[in-house]
Order: sequence, then structure tokens, then C-alpha cells
Amino acid sequence: MTSSTRALGVLAVALVVAPLALPPFFLQLLTEIAIVGLFATAFNLLMGSGGMVSFGHAAYFALGAYAAALLVKRAGVPMLLALPAAPLAAAGGALLFGFFIVRLTHTYFAMLSLAFAQIVFTVIFKWKSLTGGDDGLLDVWPPAALKSPAAYYYFTLAIVALSLAALHAVGESPFGYALKSARENPRRARFIGINVRRLQLFAFVISGAFSGLAGGLFAFYNGSVFPDFAYFTKSFEPLVVALLGGPQAFFGPLAGAFGFKILEWLVSRQWPVYWPLFLGSIVVVVIVALPMGFVGLAGGRGWRTRLTGKT
Amino acid sequence: MSGLSVGMFLFLVSVGMSLIFGVTRIVNLAHGSFYMVGAYLMVTLVEVLPDRPWAFWLALLLAPLGVALLGAVIEVGLLRLIYHRDPLMQLILTFGLILVISTLVLLAWGPDNKSVSRPEALAGSVLIFGQPFPSYYLLVLGLAPAVAVGLWLIFYRTRWGMLIRAATVDREMLGALGVNVAALYTQVFAFGSWLAGLGGALAAPTIAVALGMDGDVLTTAFVVVVIGGLGSFAGSFISALLVGLLQSFGILVFPAVSIVLLFALMAVVLVVRPWGLLGRPEQ
Repeated sequence: MTSSTRALGVLAVALVVAPLALPPFFLQLLTEIAIVGLFATAFNLLMGSGGMVSFGHAAYFALGAYAAALLVKRAGVPMLLALPAAPLAAAGGALLFGFFIVRLTHTYFAMLSLAFAQIVFTVIFKWKSLTGGDDGLLDVWPPAALKSPAAYYYFTLAIVALSLAALHAVGESPFGYALKSARENPRRARFIGINVRRLQLFAFVISGAFSGLAGGLFAFYNGSVFPDFAYFTKSFEPLVVALLGGPQAFFGPLAGAFGFKILEWLVSRQWPVYWPLFLGSIVVVVIVALPMGFVGLAGGRGWRTRLTGKT
Repeated sequence: MSGLSVGMFLFLVSVGMSLIFGVTRIVNLAHGSFYMVGAYLMVTLVEVLPDRPWAFWLALLLAPLGVALLGAVIEVGLLRLIYHRDPLMQLILTFGLILVISTLVLLAWGPDNKSVSRPEALAGSVLIFGQPFPSYYLLVLGLAPAVAVGLWLIFYRTRWGMLIRAATVDREMLGALGVNVAALYTQVFAFGSWLAGLGGALAAPTIAVALGMDGDVLTTAFVVVVIGGLGSFAGSFISALLVGLLQSFGILVFPAVSIVLLFALMAVVLVVRPWGLLGRPEQ
């Protein structure tokens, strides 16, 4: 515990002083890593603690991004007021869809979440008069004070750090433990008086809200929003990131986001077209070639036992 | 009427998906990709084959076979290795395959939309109830029920069909009785892929063959399968017709919200009967 606290402290200091040493490009990369890290950590509240694998989390990311962008573009709301709308809109979507999704388990859960994400994608894509359809919404920039890479980096870092702290607190709260018990043995959880469905819906909404916040942050970072944000390939992102980093540890998805974004940058810089191929292949190879499986899903084995092969 | 034809494509894709799920317990998310590959193979075959009246029909025969081969390779090379693992791993694997296949299709066929011209004999339209109706759709309307009847005959009148039905009930027992279940899985997966490929090849002359059709079809087929009940063959047929009709009427009546209508129907089914109209409850 103390060593991980110390490591966290070192990381925090390094991230705060980074703008002094790094060129703007790397600050943008770090900003993206922070956003993806938040997205994946929010996603992992469901997968890691709740044992619920969503295949449609892009929906909430996109709802957040579009809510913030639409307020700025169509209603002229200032960015700092539009950003809080991102998690709210996403939470609303998560409540509506989650109501149906948490009724199902495992494969059905994953498939229904994917289906709802496709609806969100289709609505965004087809509702041209509001969302701009395929062309997206352009010129969604933060105010001048936050426009430089370093300023927006600090802004994102602060919000992501606060959100991660909140998500960590949720995971460690009685609610978080109840969620884990519902993952391990839903029937026994019901016996001791836990309303499993409501608990899971609540977790779904929290996860959706923070995914939406990540979407809102990304909208202003990117300066534009596109229907792709809700596409199923985007839903794949937090899943891969969490699996790469280890869904069992709270900071696993964040670590995964580092690895993922740096890999993406290295590959897309050279061969942008091949990136999905590369990503898909990694997933296929990792799943087929790592028989110990990923932590958590394979039955709650820790990193260490996975590495040494002991159970 | 065109709603019925859309229902037929959907039926071909979703019955394959449902069949694969029933036997192997894998929800093949790459099923939309197989449909897309079927359509693209059709494009290439029609281009490559000599310009004769029979070329279209030969292509219609070969394209689904190509997809079946692809399915068999994927089953033997990848899925077979992970049957004993968490079902979610299989789901994630097939999700990964979507990305791989869509990039490979992009590299092989390029980003532009393609089209396949209808065979000369069916290029015109006929009058039905005073309304012009493209005669190619008549082929679709005839062929898909023929496939449905063929499937019924296979399932209920052949030994192989009996094995498939047995496998959906109790795979381990079937294995214990000396049936080569691994080979059966491969056959079923290839057969399901063939159906998706047939759907794609048959749909190719009626649509713009484009990247992204994998996702569209996957979603709709998924709705069909969920409404009809995963693993239920008759359920897929009924719900494919229902969804096809709903989609076409939806487009006529409320163009913007037809897809929402579809998912509303699915949500209702999921709340009332989570395992679908004709499916079995989850264990």
C-alpha cells in the first residue's frame, strides 16, 4: 500500500511538471491518455467490480461529447457550463438503456449494450439538422485561456484526477463491495438483502456518467465531434485498454491507456489504415495465445499468480 | 412487399447466427462481416466471370462458399482453441475479428462503394396489385423460403440435422455417445457462415456494397435473433419477417425513427420474455 502510494505520488509529480519538459505534441498525447484512462476506468467499474462487460460504452462517451458540443454550438452556452452537461446527459442515457441492459447477464448483457450503442450511433448519424450527421460538429473549442496544449492538459489532468478519486471511492465504498458480491454470487447477494438489479443499474449510471465526462473532455480537446464517437469500434477501446492494463487493479485501465495510446501513436503514424487491423489482431492473439486469460474475468486471479502460473 | 424481401436477407443472416449460437454457444459478432464479405465476393466474381447469363448464378453459388471457407478457417484456427474459456472471451475474439475483417476488406476492395447489376432476366419489374415491383425481389422472396424449407428438411429429416439438434440440447452427452463434436462445430460454423454469405451475395444487387454494412447488418440481425430467441430457428424466421416489415413501414411512416421503433420492439420483448419469442430461458 505504501509503495503504491509512493509510486502514485511520483507519477503525480511527473505529470504536473511534464509541460515544462515536453513539447506540445506529447502534452496532447498525455491529454488523450488521461481521457482514455478515465473512459476505461469508468468502463471498468462495470467489468472489474461488477463483472458486467459492456460492448456499447461508446454510446455514453458520445452522449457526453455531443451534449457538451451541442450546448456550445446550438445554444451558445460557455464551455465551462456545457462540460457538466456531458456526464448528466450520459447518465440519463445510461439510466434509460441500463434499465433494460442490467436485466440480462453475460453474453446477453454485452449484446444488448452493443445494440443500444448502435441506436445512439444511428440517431446521431441520421439526425442531420441537430447533430450535423456525418459532418459532425466543428469548432467546439474551449475558451482562449484553456486553448493552449499545456492549459488544456492541466485542466484535463485535474478533472481526470478528481474523477478517478471519485471512482476509487465508489469502488471502496460499501456500494462497491456490494457490487463485487453481486458479481461473485448474485443469488447469495440477493439472500442477504441486496437489490442486485438496482445496484447494477446504479453502477451502470455512474460508469456512464464518467464515460460521458470523458467524452465531453474529448470534444473540447478535439475541437469537434463526429458520429464515430458512438460507433462500435469506439466501444472496443475501453475494453481493450482495460484488458491490456488489467481489469482487476484500479489503476490497470489507466496503465492500459498509456500502453494503448502510445502503441496507437506509433502504428498510426506509420500506417494509419492498418491500425484497426493491428488492434483486432492484438486482441485475437492475446485471447488465443494467453491461456491464463485476463485477470478478473478468468476467475479473479491476481497479476502475480497469473505471471507465475500458480493459483 | 419490399419489407418482406428485407426480412428475407435478415432471415438468412440471423438464422446462421442463431444456428451457430445454438450449437457452439458463440454469439458470432463477426457475422455481419461475413455478410459483407459475401457481398464483396459477389462484386468481384461478377466482374471476373465472363459476361454471360449464367455468370451471375455461378457467382451466387461461389460467393457464399467462399464465406463458408472463411468461417471454417476461423473456427478451426481460432475459436476451437478457446471453447473451454469464458464465453465473453469468445465474444471479444469475434469482436476483434470485425476490426480485422473490415480492414482487410478495405485493403482488398478499396473505400469506394460498389454495385452489382441484376441478372438480365430479372432486371425489370412486374406489376403486383397494380404496383411495379422489381422482379429481382421475387427471386429473393422465392429463394429465402426455399432455404427455410431446406433448413427444416435438414434439421428434421437428416442425421446431420439430428446431431445439430442434439448438440443444442446437450453437447457433452452427444460427445460421450461417440459423435465427433469438434467436427460438428466446424461444419455448423461453416454452414452458418455460408448462410450469412448467401444473404450478402443475394443482397448485393439491391444495395450499395460498402464498408460499414457489417455493423448495420449485425445490429439488425442481432435484434432479429433476440426477438426470435437465440438458438431458435423458427423464431428467427418469424421475427426476421416482423423486423423487415417494421423497418419498411417505419421508413414510410416515420423515416427518422424507424430504427428506434425496432429497438423499442426489442426492449418490449426483452422485458416481457428475455429469452425471445421462441427461445429457451437462460440457465
